[in-house]
Amino acid sequence: MTSSPGGLAAKTLPLLRHPVLRRLAQAFFVAFLLMVFAFLLIRLIPGDPAMILLGDEATEEDVIAYRKLLGIDGSIPSQFGRYVSNLVRGDFGVSIRSREPVLSIVGKRLPVSLWLTVTTIVMTIALALPLGVAAALYRRTWFGHAFQIGASVLVATPVFFSGLLLILLFAVQVNLAPIAGYHAGFPANLYYLWLPALTINFVLVPVLARILQSSIVETSTEEFVEAAIIRGTQGWRFYWRYLLRPSLAPTIAALGYFAATVVSYAVIIEIIFNLPGLGMTLVDAVRNRDYPLVQGIVFLSGLLVVGLTFMADLVNGWLDPRAQIR
Amino acid sequence: MCQQKEREIEPLLEVKDLCISFGKGGGRKLPVIDAANLSLDQRQAVGIVGESGSGKTMLCRALIGTLPRHGAGIVSGTVRFDGQELAGAPERVWRGIRGREIGYIPQSSLAGLNPVLTVETQLVESITAVGSFSRQEARQEAAGLLEKVRIPRAQQVLKARSHQLSGGMRQRVMIAAAIAQGPKLLIADEPTTALDVTIQREILSLITQLRQELNMALILVSHDLAVIEEVCDDVMVMYAGASVEAGPVAALSKAPRHPYTRALRVSRVDRAVPGQDLEAIPGDAASVGSWPAGCRFWPRCALADEACRRDTQPALMPTAQQLSACIHAERMAELEQ
Repeated sequence: MTSSPGGLAAKTLPLLRHPVLRRLAQAFFVAFLLMVFAFLLIRLIPGDPAMILLGDEATEEDVIAYRKLLGIDGSIPSQFGRYVSNLVRGDFGVSIRSREPVLSIVGKRLPVSLWLTVTTIVMTIALALPLGVAAALYRRTWFGHAFQIGASVLVATPVFFSGLLLILLFAVQVNLAPIAGYHAGFPANLYYLWLPALTINFVLVPVLARILQSSIVETSTEEFVEAAIIRGTQGWRFYWRYLLRPSLAPTIAALGYFAATVVSYAVIIEIIFNLPGLGMTLVDAVRNRDYPLVQGIVFLSGLLVVGLTFMADLVNGWLDPRAQIR
Repeated sequence: MCQQKEREIEPLLEVKDLCISFGKGGGRKLPVIDAANLSLDQRQAVGIVGESGSGKTMLCRALIGTLPRHGAGIVSGTVRFDGQELAGAPERVWRGIRGREIGYIPQSSLAGLNPVLTVETQLVESITAVGSFSRQEARQEAAGLLEKVRIPRAQQVLKARSHQLSGGMRQRVMIAAAIAQGPKLLIADEPTTALDVTIQREILSLITQLRQELNMALILVSHDLAVIEEVCDDVMVMYAGASVEAGPVAALSKAPRHPYTRALRVSRVDRAVPGQDLEAIPGDAASVGSWPAGCRFWPRCALADEACRRDTQPALMPTAQQLSACIHAERMAELEQ
């Protein structure tokens, strides 16, 4: 096995010297590992899933039929071969409980989760960026100290608690959001999404704003910042070009990662706010031991994570050319 | 050149009894410079020499108004530049001075270029800071600047970012940015420290040539006396936050009147005799916060006596051709004969 597919591939394939293509190759490699992981998920669980699902009373024929349904009949290599060829054809298997194809279930639930993710991330950027900049510029004033304390308190507050508090405040006291539920269709769905997104951001914004704050503080001691001051660079140019842009890379990388974790936060959030998203489906699937569905959701939401991190890297490469040579 | 003579015209820059310390207000202050004196005329080149920690860089920052960024400030003394008092000047005044009147090449100027911006973007910033230029004009001007600092393939370098350039190239770009607004004075704080020896020479001769072409005065900071003797007319020697000797380069090299200057000269590597041990200055340099009482050099000085230990740091006093802060300056003259 190679530890760095990009490094090895770059030597053998000149095309992969291009940073974007190399990063893309890495993304595909991770996606492959993810596929293997999802495959092993069912196979590594102790005991025979078919026996567990059917109980002691099951007949031999039932067990065999069930194994076939789960794709765990025959040797492991042949199972893997079928699994991969099915995935390539877009066949993720059938939900044990509803007998509905996994892909169509995910297709129905994923948009809700995606909308939640997008709303959350837009909100994160809108809040964390100004907050991080302000916290860096005014770190020696009362605002900076208040930010430090406030950020620690918010990060330490569990989302199920802050979520309930926010429902109490915005949905019960002030009628600005529904208590729970969802209706599809933009922009009407934002009415149902802004409060869940805010709840997640109670954790995300303080973390990201602090990452941004410390990078800006670090950047501000750089020689090139002093050089710009001496040159007479002022106003937005100075703040954007010399403080913010060279400081963004760690924040964007973290944003890519957190965008991915929204999917797992969503498990709790979707339950609190009763959103019919992927998170809630996953919890149900686990509870019902619906292995094909669990496997499909793990793989597809994992792909989402890979895609989002890839996008974050692309944005970083564009904003900060240093990222490309690393 | 002689500093003691009456002058008909005011010098371009005159620093008198400058004291700088770290820390804002209150009682907790840490002095880094407490008696810096420097004078230079239009088009003159003055070198500042001293060990690290002697306060050379802080003096430069005082001249460019960036002390507050480093948590320091001027406590007392004056900095007169071109008829204007700069000690304690507000930011508004500094904006008219930095870049326009005084160009600056920072110490570790290899980190002086923004890694996310192209050379062109940064040069255009410098150019458009004064006067009104169209985008096109500013770009041409930027290419012209690179030619001035002898960079071949200017168009290619303009589009490059700092990690794509060699150390010598980056330093040339920094010099181009420093001279973009046509300053009267160029301050170069150890401009060659981080460079290869061969490139050091190129950069030094470039600075010398530009100085003559553009009629600039120059302050060259270095810990290397040989470099300063090559480039400068006058030299000021700093030790532990104080100016200890100042005067024409020739006078200080032929007949130093401060034991520290003499020690710097004999410890020069380029004067070493093969097979013989290099003469190092005994003891360690006095560091900020633990300056000795009396003359700050006495613990390392062969001439030190009771008076040196007892009195305070002596002020610069005129001797034959230069200024010296040693009470035994005359004795040094006798010893030489």
